[in-house]
Amino acid sequence: MSPRPVVAEERRTILTLGGGGFTMEPDNPALDELVLALTDAREPNVLFLPTASGDPAGQINAFRARFGGRACIAEHLSLFHLHGSVRTLEEIVLDQDVIYAGGGSMRNLLAIWRAHGLDELLVEAWRRGTVLAGISAGAMCWFEGGVTKSSGPPEPIEGFGLLPGSLSVHADGEPERLPVWLACVREGVLPGGWAADDGVGLVFRGRQLKGAFSSRPGAAALRADAVDGELVRQRIEPELLGARPTGTGPPSDDIVELRQVQRLRQSRL
Amino acid sequence: MEAGNPLLDDYVLSLTGRERPRVCFLPTASGDADHYVVRFYRQFATRCDASHVSLFRRDREGVESHFAEHLLAQDLIYVGGGNLVSLLGTWRAHGLHSVLRRAWRQGVVLCGPSAGSLCWFAEALTAFHAAPHRVTGLGLLPYSNCVHYDAEPQRREEYRRFVGDGMRPGYAADDGAALHFRGKDLARAVSSRPHAQAYRVEPIDDEVAEVPLDVEYLGARIAEPAAA
Repeated sequence: MSPRPVVAEERRTILTLGGGGFTMEPDNPALDELVLALTDAREPNVLFLPTASGDPAGQINAFRARFGGRACIAEHLSLFHLHGSVRTLEEIVLDQDVIYAGGGSMRNLLAIWRAHGLDELLVEAWRRGTVLAGISAGAMCWFEGGVTKSSGPPEPIEGFGLLPGSLSVHADGEPERLPVWLACVREGVLPGGWAADDGVGLVFRGRQLKGAFSSRPGAAALRADAVDGELVRQRIEPELLGARPTGTGPPSDDIVELRQVQRLRQSRL
Repeated sequence: MEAGNPLLDDYVLSLTGRERPRVCFLPTASGDADHYVVRFYRQFATRCDASHVSLFRRDREGVESHFAEHLLAQDLIYVGGGNLVSLLGTWRAHGLHSVLRRAWRQGVVLCGPSAGSLCWFAEALTAFHAAPHRVTGLGLLPYSNCVHYDAEPQRREEYRRFVGDGMRPGYAADDGAALHFRGKDLARAVSSRPHAQAYRVEPIDDEVAEVPLDVEYLGARIAEPAAA
């Protein structure tokens, strides 16, 4: 495997979900389809990291159910269960087009990734153009900070800082988080940033927010900053993605063609 | 928690000296796997005051809100198997290292299989992705440790190589063999399987020696009646 080249900053992509996607929206693939649409690869390698919840079978099965039938090569990486894999973490991580981090305990996610040296590998993958995506803990981790319930009550926590500012998730679904986040931003404990409802995805290119999308009507994001000790808030209206229930209707021509190519390749091996 | 074989569980419970010991399970190394937690309660709940601490679900309504106090009030802390690096990383993030050290000093019995064994030692050999490697553990026991010694030949080979290359001397145990330490000293080696072995592994005269320990099979009286 030859290493992928480093890409220009504006081509480095991160998608952060306030909630939603395959672990939360079993009947709505809109945000997961957005994940796949963000990579240029025709048949992307997609790696799911269920670390923040301890690699539970339920999340892994939901991931397979959502991505298994799509035009991609979907795998998950467990940091708890033996794979019997002969590949190193570096070989696995640096060979991905999309890396998708699941939700759970952000404190555990950060600690476990660091213990395995995965944090540095993920930054390296991002620099080389791998799309990073994540929900909840797996979304907040890319920012300078977030609000976590890893120790029980919501509290501020520091992230990896690939993206500037802070993120709070489940703004509508877990209403106890938002006031904690706003207070932290007002007091300067956390830098200004975004709060995203369940179903809202924010797309960053480089370190800039480039788009907001949603899988549910009515869901939104909020930008908040502290200016002279006062909060300045701005509602961000996301673009509603054309949600289509899973498993209905035939797959598109593109997908049919990709599957044929996949089968051909496999038969040649 | 071997399927159908309670010998090691019986043994460790007897070390508490309690009729109905308080036993807390830490399933961290498995990512708090549900099936493992269920297995623990099946095995222990009838004869112990059994509980578990989840470091992935500290927002649940349970002992997690005061887990340090809870752990220090136990007679036995049982650490489940899984991935050692993930276990130590998670524990460090929640301050478990110091809580467990305190529990040990206060006389709480600590035990565990696999990663739940490796974690107590100064150094350990862990196998995960690609080749096995060295990990620094909690260091309550100033030795190195290797598990699954019979089941995974590559580990055995690598462990001997590491000890030859300067990893501190230590102890290796087959599946079913258990090392019982009092303070920092090995008090006994016992087993739940008739032929399970354990070894002291150390460099002697430029060679890495495997010195077999006297392992007492705990089921001897029941499972192996004297030959007629």
